[in-house]
Amino acid sequence: MKKVLAKITAITVMSALAVTAFAGCGSSSNSNDSSDASFDTSKTITVVTREEGSGTRDAFTELTGVLVKDGDTKTDNTVSSAVTINSTEAVITNVKDNDSAIGYISLGSLNETVKAVKVGSVEATAENVKSGDYAISRPFNIAYKSNLSEVAQDFVDFILSSDGQKIVTDEGYVTVSDGEAYSGKKPEGKISVAGSSSVSPVMEKLAEAYMAVNTNAKIEIQTSDSSAGMQAAMEGTCDIGMASRELKDEELSALTSTTIAKDGIAIIVNKANTCDDLTVDQIKAIYTGETTVWSDIIK
Amino acid sequence: MQGVFFLTALASIAAVAVICIFLFINGIPAMAEIGVFDFIGGQKWAPSNVPASYGIFNMIVASVYVTAGAIVIGVPIGILTAVYLARFCPKPLYKVLKPATELLAGIPSIVYGFFGLMVIVPFIRDNFGGNGSSWLAASIVLGIMILPTIIGVSESALRAVPESYYEGALALGATKERSVFKTILPASKSGVLAAVVLGIGRALGETMAVVLIAGNQVQIPSRLTDGLRTLTANIVMEMGYSTGLHRQALIATGVVLFIFILLITISMQAIKSRSEKHG
Repeated sequence: MKKVLAKITAITVMSALAVTAFAGCGSSSNSNDSSDASFDTSKTITVVTREEGSGTRDAFTELTGVLVKDGDTKTDNTVSSAVTINSTEAVITNVKDNDSAIGYISLGSLNETVKAVKVGSVEATAENVKSGDYAISRPFNIAYKSNLSEVAQDFVDFILSSDGQKIVTDEGYVTVSDGEAYSGKKPEGKISVAGSSSVSPVMEKLAEAYMAVNTNAKIEIQTSDSSAGMQAAMEGTCDIGMASRELKDEELSALTSTTIAKDGIAIIVNKANTCDDLTVDQIKAIYTGETTVWSDIIK
Repeated sequence: MQGVFFLTALASIAAVAVICIFLFINGIPAMAEIGVFDFIGGQKWAPSNVPASYGIFNMIVASVYVTAGAIVIGVPIGILTAVYLARFCPKPLYKVLKPATELLAGIPSIVYGFFGLMVIVPFIRDNFGGNGSSWLAASIVLGIMILPTIIGVSESALRAVPESYYEGALALGATKERSVFKTILPASKSGVLAAVVLGIGRALGETMAVVLIAGNQVQIPSRLTDGLRTLTANIVMEMGYSTGLHRQALIATGVVLFIFILLITISMQAIKSRSEKHG
C-alpha cells in the first residue's frame, strides 16, 4: 500500500511539473505575439524548404527557377542552410513560430495562422491560379490522340465532371471546370495512363474513383515525367499522357490536351512580417542564398 | 513445454536475421551502384538532381555530433544522479525520484520532439541566435532522453559494489563524498561505461524527436546553433516519396546506421566480458 501511495505521489509531482512547463511555454508564446508589432528587418531570413522528392518542392523549385535545367542535367540550387521539413503542417508551424521565416505550401493547405505574400503583386488565390495570373502555378494537363477509345473518353469526361473535380479539390489543387455530375455509359475496357510524377498522385485517386463507378474499366498508371508521358501518348504506347506543364508546339500538333487541374504554391511568411509582395526573382534569390536578410527586400 | 520456450526464443533471432537480410539485400546493391566511397565519403545529397548525388558523409558526421552533444549533456547529469540515488538520497525522496526518472523513459519520443519544438527551439532562437532548430536543440533533448538509461544502469552498477570498499575508505578517514568518488565509482567503472554506451546507442538511433528540432540541413555545422540532418532523420524524411535508387540509397543509409549500432553492441559486449573477468 505504501509503495502504491509513493508511486501516486511521484506521478502527481511529475504531472504538476509538466503542467507548469507547458504553462510556461504558453505564456512565452504570448509574449512573442505582443512583440510582433515591430518587425526586425535586420534579421537573417530563415529559409524553410521541403525534403527532396516532395512534389511541392519539385513544383516550387521548377517554377521559381531554383532548379536549373541545362540540357540533360538538373541542379537544385536550394541554399544548404535551408531548414528542411517533411510535412506541410510542420512548414506552417515553423513559419508561424519564427517571425523571420519564409516557406512554401500547396495553395489548398493555406490557413489563417500564416500570411501568404503576393507574387508580382498578384494575390495567391484559387481564382488567380485558375486565370493564370498567379506566377507560381502550373497546369496539370492530360493529352491524347484523336482516336481515343470509348472507355478512355468516358474517363476524361469523369475527370472533368463535378465528381472528378471534387477529388481534385480534395487533393489540394484548384479546379478548372464546373462540369455536371458524371453520367457515363460505363463502357468496358482498359486504359493506360503515363507521365508526370506530379500529376500521378491525383490521377491515381481519380482512377480509383472511376473504377469504383465503372467496374468494367481497368486503368493502369505509369509514372515517369511529363516529356516521357507526351512521347508515349504520341507513339500510342499509352492512351492518355500526363504533363505538369504546358504542352510544346510539336506535342500540340499531334495531341489534344485538356487541363484537368491547376497546382498553385503559396509563399508564406510570419504574420508579423511586414513584407506583402515578392517578385519571383526575389523568391529565387532568397532560396538560392543570394538574399539573406529581410532588410534587402523590405526597404 | 520447453519447445514453446525454444520457439519464442527463435522468434527474436528470426526477426534480427530477417531485418539484416532485408537491409543488406536492398542496401548493398545501391551502395555498389553509387560507389561505396561516393556514398559514405560524398558531401552532396541531391537525389532529385540529374545526375543525382547520394553522399551521406555530412549525415554521418551530424549523427556523431548530435550524439556527442547528448553525451556531454546527459552523462554528467546521469552519473551524478545515479551516485546520489545510490549513496546519498534519503529514503522518502528516493521513493519520488526513482519513479520520476523511470517515468522519463516512458515518455514517447514524439512528445520529447514536440516539447523541444515548442520550448527549447524558441529559447535558443531568442537567446543564442540562429533559427533555433539546431545541433544544440537536438543535443539537449537527446541528453534528457538518455538520462533514464544512464541513471538506471549506473545506479545498479554502483549498488553492486561491495559495501566493504566504502566502509574501508571511511575507516581510513576519507569523507563520505571522497569514499564514493574514489572507491565506489572507480570500482563500478565498467558498469557505468556500459551505461554510457547504451546511452550512445539510444541517442544515435533516435528519430522522431530529432527530425522535429534539428533543422535537417545536409551540412556539417560550424556552430552549435546551426542545423544538421542525422542518418535517421534522412531516412524518415524522404522515405515517403522516394522511388528507385533514391529509396535504395535510403535503405543503404539504414545499413550504415545498422553497422554503427552493431559496433556499439560489440563494444558493449566487450565491456561486459571484461567486467566479468575482473569480477
